[in-house]
Amino acid sequence: MFELLEHPADIGFRAHAPDLAALFETCAEALLAVAVEVETVEPRSSYPLAAAGDDTESLLVNWLSEVLYLWDARRLALRQFRVLEITPGRVTGEGLGEPWDPARHRAKLVIKGVTYHQLRVGQDRQGWYAQVFLDI
Amino acid sequence: MDYVLRIPRDEKRGMRTDVVVYASPALLEHIKRDQSLEQAMNVATLPGIVGPSLAMPDIHQGYGFPIGGVAAMDWQSGVVSPGGVGYDINCGVRLLRTTLTRSEVEPRLRELVNQMFRDVPCGTGSEGTLRVDRKQLDAVLAEGAGWMVTNGYGCQRDAEFTEERGAMEGADPAKVSERAKERGRPQLGTLGSGNHFLEVQWVEQVFDETAARAMGLETDQAVVLVHCGSRGLGHQVCTDYLAEMGAAMKRYNITLPDRQLACVPIQSPEGQAYLAAMRASANFAWANRQAITHLLRGSFQRIFGPEAKLEMIYDVCHNIAKRERHLWEGQKRDVLVHRKGATRAFPPGHRDLPAAYREVGQPVLIPGSMGTASWVLVGAEAAMRETFGSVCHGAGRLMSRTAARKGRDVREVQKRLEEQGILVRSETRDGILEEVPEAYKNVDEVIEVVHTAGLARKVARFRPMGVIKG
Repeated sequence: MFELLEHPADIGFRAHAPDLAALFETCAEALLAVAVEVETVEPRSSYPLAAAGDDTESLLVNWLSEVLYLWDARRLALRQFRVLEITPGRVTGEGLGEPWDPARHRAKLVIKGVTYHQLRVGQDRQGWYAQVFLDI
Repeated sequence: MDYVLRIPRDEKRGMRTDVVVYASPALLEHIKRDQSLEQAMNVATLPGIVGPSLAMPDIHQGYGFPIGGVAAMDWQSGVVSPGGVGYDINCGVRLLRTTLTRSEVEPRLRELVNQMFRDVPCGTGSEGTLRVDRKQLDAVLAEGAGWMVTNGYGCQRDAEFTEERGAMEGADPAKVSERAKERGRPQLGTLGSGNHFLEVQWVEQVFDETAARAMGLETDQAVVLVHCGSRGLGHQVCTDYLAEMGAAMKRYNITLPDRQLACVPIQSPEGQAYLAAMRASANFAWANRQAITHLLRGSFQRIFGPEAKLEMIYDVCHNIAKRERHLWEGQKRDVLVHRKGATRAFPPGHRDLPAAYREVGQPVLIPGSMGTASWVLVGAEAAMRETFGSVCHGAGRLMSRTAARKGRDVREVQKRLEEQGILVRSETRDGILEEVPEAYKNVDEVIEVVHTAGLARKVARFRPMGVIKG
């Protein structure tokens, strides 16, 4: 579950999930939802994802930067995400989607980068939460 | 000096210097509503900062650094921060004059805008028509606009009238990751999205006849403004080096109030590597704006015939860190000037200016929003004395993207602008709604501040007639 957040120049999102793996999945979905009209994307194929980081914050930023790289460089529109393993310092998983097809897919905003600005990752009574801002 | 506010260094723990804000009382009210002043104070904590942390009147909240911020760091003892340059390295503006008047363009405006929209790829997922292989991309990264000129996408004059002549020295393509190259290569010659645009404008008013003459500008003349940057290549370079510096900072014992300010000593291997990659990205951006210029020349000739010309006035970058020598408090200082949403504004007589502008000063290009004015200024003396040769870069946002979309209908916005003689095209509905004129501060007010403060002087004011939003 995620909601979009306002920023004077750009855009962010706040995500909630029962555990850390689900939080990473939800954040990846939120990022793609800013870039693409995800309803137009079919989860036909699986593409591997992996990232490393010194702490949970940098792990999340690097994971999302990986998703952004697959989108902006490899032209892969992903819709669903699965975290297969998450340990302190490393996350592996996969994204389900298909190669970008301008005839069927609708793009929204160009995301330049995933920032550390007001980045929050933590636990509350419902589980895990994260707040992430993207440079548009 | 009514327009200068000083926040002393004892305002916040860790500040090494003051913050100096250039703003009118009305603009200051807007500025205080977001975190931009807090961010300018955070910049004041960075090691090796020379002079104050500077905030321009178009300042708004960014990431780490505020957008509209300037900070000079001592070249030997200071730090370099990728966040002080931003994800869009060498995002900048290029102004081209046409050989046409407003009344000659108007009857064919719709055809022209449609032609430009077809010729220049824009929006998410767009790919350039100009294909370069990996070896050619490395040459683009080393040579910038010059590579485009050598390969037939412009003339020598285009590069000469570009800041740094369209190529920064010390660019090293080997310091740009394969990922950044992969991300940027298909995007050469594309506009991007967000606040990037192409605009056909006309000269509404000339304020400085001598400077306008030097730029070949006169009232009612049609001009073209291009706003874009280094695309995915620069974005990935920023991402790569932010990650590297985040880890390296521990080695250099640097602690910061905001992680997005990640920085390392300029003289460290990481600092030098980033600067070499940043310069290569800046060169990519100049090559990109040059490629777009080539496409636009084709659009104009297709509509108006082979005599229609687009000639360079100037091209400036407003996201960059540059090594410059400045006289500060009576001493010659070798500094790295971070301009994050700020424009270089060198005054008359500066040796880095092309001969045609040496007597009037460097053209400073300030785009407004799509329904309002844009400006060309020239750099002035106070910029050298007070702001390390820097000035504002735009109007500055007032409203978030979500707030701009709320309750607005794209057809109503387009109709309203058309009634003012402004035709707008965009790949997406949000591309128009998020950039509505009311989402921005009043650019005229921003210009008034920098003009009165003596940082730059007004030369001419433009009105838009055709807008393409990325």
